[in-house]
Amino acid sequence: MATFPFAGVLKSLWVTLRTAVRKPVTVQYPTVRVPYAPRMRGFPALIWDDAVGEHFCTGCQVCARYCPTNAIFVTMKNNPLNQTGQSPRRKIVNQFYLDYGRCIQCKICVDVCNFDAIEMSHETEFSEWDKRALIFDVRDLLHMEALANPRTKQVVTRR
Amino acid sequence: MDLLVTLAVLTLQIVLLFNVVMFIVLALVWLERKVLGRVHQRMGPMRVGPHGTLQSLADGIKLLLKEDLAPSSAERFAFLLAPLLVFAPSFLVFVAIPFTRDIVVRNLALGLVYFVAVSSLSTVGMVLAGWSSSNKYALIGAARTAAQLISYEIPLVLVVLSVAMLGGTLDLRGLVESQGQAGPYVLWQPLGALIFIMAALAEVFRPPFDIPVAESEVLGGPMIEYSGMRWGLFFMAEYGNAFAFSALFVLLFLGGWQGPLLPPILWFLLKTSAVILVFFWMRAAMPRLRIDQLMGFAWEVLLPFAFLNLFLTGVVQLYRWPLWSLSLLSLTGLLALGYVVERGRVTWRRSPSLAS
Amino acid sequence: MLIKREFETVEMPINVGPQHPSTHGVLRLVMTLDGEQIVKVDPVIGYLHRAVEKLSENLRYQNIPHLFDRLDYVSAFNNEWPLAMAQERLLGLEVPPRGEYLRVILCELNRIASHFLFFGAFGHDAGTATSWMYGFRERERIQRLFEMVSGYRMMHDFVVPGGVREDVPEEFVPALRALLPVLWQGLGDCNNLLTENEVLVTRTRDIGVITGEEAISYGLSGPSLRASGVREDLRLTEPYSVYPDLDFDVVLGQHGDSYDRYWVRMQEVAQSLRIVEQALDRLPGGLVCTPGLPKYPKLLKLPVGETYARAENPRGEFGVYLISTGGDRPYRLKIRAPSFCNLMALPRLMEGHYLADAIMILGSLDVVMGEVDR
Repeated sequence: MATFPFAGVLKSLWVTLRTAVRKPVTVQYPTVRVPYAPRMRGFPALIWDDAVGEHFCTGCQVCARYCPTNAIFVTMKNNPLNQTGQSPRRKIVNQFYLDYGRCIQCKICVDVCNFDAIEMSHETEFSEWDKRALIFDVRDLLHMEALANPRTKQVVTRR
Repeated sequence: MDLLVTLAVLTLQIVLLFNVVMFIVLALVWLERKVLGRVHQRMGPMRVGPHGTLQSLADGIKLLLKEDLAPSSAERFAFLLAPLLVFAPSFLVFVAIPFTRDIVVRNLALGLVYFVAVSSLSTVGMVLAGWSSSNKYALIGAARTAAQLISYEIPLVLVVLSVAMLGGTLDLRGLVESQGQAGPYVLWQPLGALIFIMAALAEVFRPPFDIPVAESEVLGGPMIEYSGMRWGLFFMAEYGNAFAFSALFVLLFLGGWQGPLLPPILWFLLKTSAVILVFFWMRAAMPRLRIDQLMGFAWEVLLPFAFLNLFLTGVVQLYRWPLWSLSLLSLTGLLALGYVVERGRVTWRRSPSLAS
Repeated sequence: MLIKREFETVEMPINVGPQHPSTHGVLRLVMTLDGEQIVKVDPVIGYLHRAVEKLSENLRYQNIPHLFDRLDYVSAFNNEWPLAMAQERLLGLEVPPRGEYLRVILCELNRIASHFLFFGAFGHDAGTATSWMYGFRERERIQRLFEMVSGYRMMHDFVVPGGVREDVPEEFVPALRALLPVLWQGLGDCNNLLTENEVLVTRTRDIGVITGEEAISYGLSGPSLRASGVREDLRLTEPYSVYPDLDFDVVLGQHGDSYDRYWVRMQEVAQSLRIVEQALDRLPGGLVCTPGLPKYPKLLKLPVGETYARAENPRGEFGVYLISTGGDRPYRLKIRAPSFCNLMALPRLMEGHYLADAIMILGSLDVVMGEVDR
C-alpha cells in the first residue's frame, strides 16, 4: 500500500495543499443566494385568479383533511361574486390559516387540491420570535412568491 | 535613581512585548481559521471586519462577557490558579527571544536553557487544571497531558543541545550570528530539525499530537470546565506557545533574522510565519495519534534518534570534520528514522487484544 | 518520611453521554474504565425514539413515507424503497423499467452521499476537520441534484409503490452526467486524504476486530459485515429491481477491523458510481409508475396479507415487515433497522480496547440513531 515511508502522510499533505488553491465553494448567504431548483419545496402559498378577481381556493377542506400535521384550518362561505354571475365558484374560502410552525412542506396539500389553488412557493425564511406569528392567514399566504403558475402565468411579488 | 530608570525602561519593554505578542496571537487565531478554511475549500471568517480580521477581537469580547462558571465540587484555589500557570510561561519565554539583533528585551546568556525551562512550567498548570476540575474527563486529559509533555521534552532538549554544540553557545542571539557564518543549521542537521518540529508540535498540543486536549474528540481535556476568559487564557497560551516554538525553530535552524534585501524584522516574521503555516498544514491534514502510540513514538523513535543526532554532532565537532559530512550523516539518520517508523508501525501499535 | 500505602486501583465508570461529540446522534455509552482500558460498555439507546412504528398504524399508506424518510435521515431514498416494495408485493404490482432505473439511480446516489458523510464523520473522529469538509462538499453537490428531482435535499417522499412519484425533470440527466466526473475527483481527494495516511492506519488497524462467523451471529449486515470477509450483499445474493442487469463488484475486507470497515465503504462509493453510470446509460423511456394506482386523495387500500421486504441500505439490510388486514392503514409495520443490529455488536467490539479506540470503532460502524431508535 505505502510505497515509501510516510507516503500516505505526504499524500494527505499534498491533497490539502492542492485544495487550498481552489476557488472556495462557499456561497455567502444571505448576500449571495443559490438559485433554487424549480421543484424546490418551500412553504405553501395560495393562488389568485386574475381573470375573475378572487382566490382559486373554494374552502373545500380536502387539504386540511390530508395534512399530516393538522397545520391547515379552512372555512368556506357563499361566494358573492357567483351571485352576480362573475365567477363559476359557488363557494369561496372564508378563513384559511396555515401554521408554518407545523408545516413539514410535504406537498400533500398541493397534491390533493382539486382546484390547484395551493402551490409550494420558494419562500423559506420565516424566523419569528413568537411561534404564534407563524400562523399565516389568507392574505399573507397570497403574498408569497408563488411558483410561476402555468395557468395564470403569475408570480406574485413578495410581501 | 539609576535603578528606577532601569526598572521603568524594563517595565515599558515588557508591556510593549506583551502587547506585541498578544497582537500576534490574535492575528494567528485569525490566520489559522483562514488557512484552515482555504484548505477546506471554504472561506473562513468573512463578516466581522474586512475578511474577518476583527473576528479574534469579537471572540475575545464575547469571552470576557461570559459567565464565570466553576463546578461546585472543584478545588477553588487550584481551579483559579491553573489558567494563569499555563498562560504566564507562554509569554515569559518571549523575554529572551531576539526578534532581531537589537529588538530583544533581555538577551540572556543562557537563553536556550531559559526557554526550555520556562516553557515546561505549563505542564504544572495543565495538570492542576485537570485535577481541580473534579471531572473524570479532565482527569484523564490531565494525566495524558503530563505524560506527553514530559516525554517530548527530552528529545527536544537533546536536539537543542546539538544545535548549541554546533553554535558553541547557549545564547540565542549568538546562535543566530554563528549561523551567519556557517549557514542555517537546518542544512547541517536535517534530522535534528525534523525531530524538533515533531517535539514542538507535541509540546504545543497541536495535531497530530493533540489527543490530551481533544479527549473523546472534543471534550477538551483539562480545559473542559473552564468558560469565558479563563478558557480564553488557555487558548491564547496555546497560540503563544505555538508562536514561541516556531520562533525558536527559526532562531535555531533557519538563521533567525538574517537574509538579503529585506529588513531583518521582516525576515524574522516571514520565516516564523512559514513555520506556523506548516503547523497549520499539519493540523489540516493529519488525524491524531492515540496516547500510547504518541508516547511510543517519543520514547522509541524520537529519543534514540535525538541521541544519534547528538552523537553525530559531537563526533563531527570532535574530529573537526567538515560540516557537510554532518549533513550527510544526518540525512542518513533521517532515512533510518523513516525506515524505523515504517517497520515499527506493525509493532508499537500495541492495542490490547480481547484475550488479554 | 516515606509513606507506604497499598495503592488500590478502582475501575472508573464514565459516561460517554448522549450529547456526543461525534455526530452519530444521541447515543449514550456507559463505560467502565480501568485506567485507559475499557472493561465493560453498555450502550443506552432510545433518546431519539419517535414511535414511528406505532404512528404508522394510524397513518394512511401515502403518509407513511414521511416518517420513513426520517428514520435513516442520511439516506432517505433507501428507506422508502423497502416500504414501497412491501406494498407492491401485497398488491402484486409490476414497476415499469424507467421507474426501476430511476429508483436505482437515486438510491445509489444516496448511498454515495451517505458514505461521504461517513467519511466526514470518521475523519472528524480521527482528528481531521478537513475530512468533514471534503465529505460534505461532495454530499452537497448530490443534494442539489436531489432538490432538482424531489424538491427536497433530504426528506424526499419520492419512492411510492409502483415506481416513483413523478418523472425527473429534463435537466436532471445532463446535470448528473456533468456531476459524475466531479464525484470521481472528490472520491479521489478523499482517498488521498485518509485512505493511505499512516496515522489513520495506525489508529484503526486491528481495532475492533470481528470475524465473519461472529459478525453473522451478531446480526451485522452491510459494509460492516463485508469488512469481515463475508460475501453478503442483498443486491447480489437476493437481487431485486434491475440489479441483475448491472455490473458491479462486491467489496470485501480481510481483517474485519475498523480500517477495513472504512476501506470497504470508500470502495463501495466507487462501485456505486459505476452503477449510476451504467444505469444512466440504460435509462429507458416510458412510464415511471404503474398506471391505475389511486392517486391522492383516493386512498390506497392494501389486500389482506403480510410480507417482509428488504433492501441493501448504505448501513446494511433494511427490512420492512408489513401486516395488512385490508383497509388504508397497516395493522403492523415493523422496521428492521440495520444500525440497531449493528449496534448490538458494540460491546463485543469495544471491550479490551482503549477509550480513544472506542470512538473510532463507533465511527467505523456508521450508526445513525434515527434508525436505531425509530
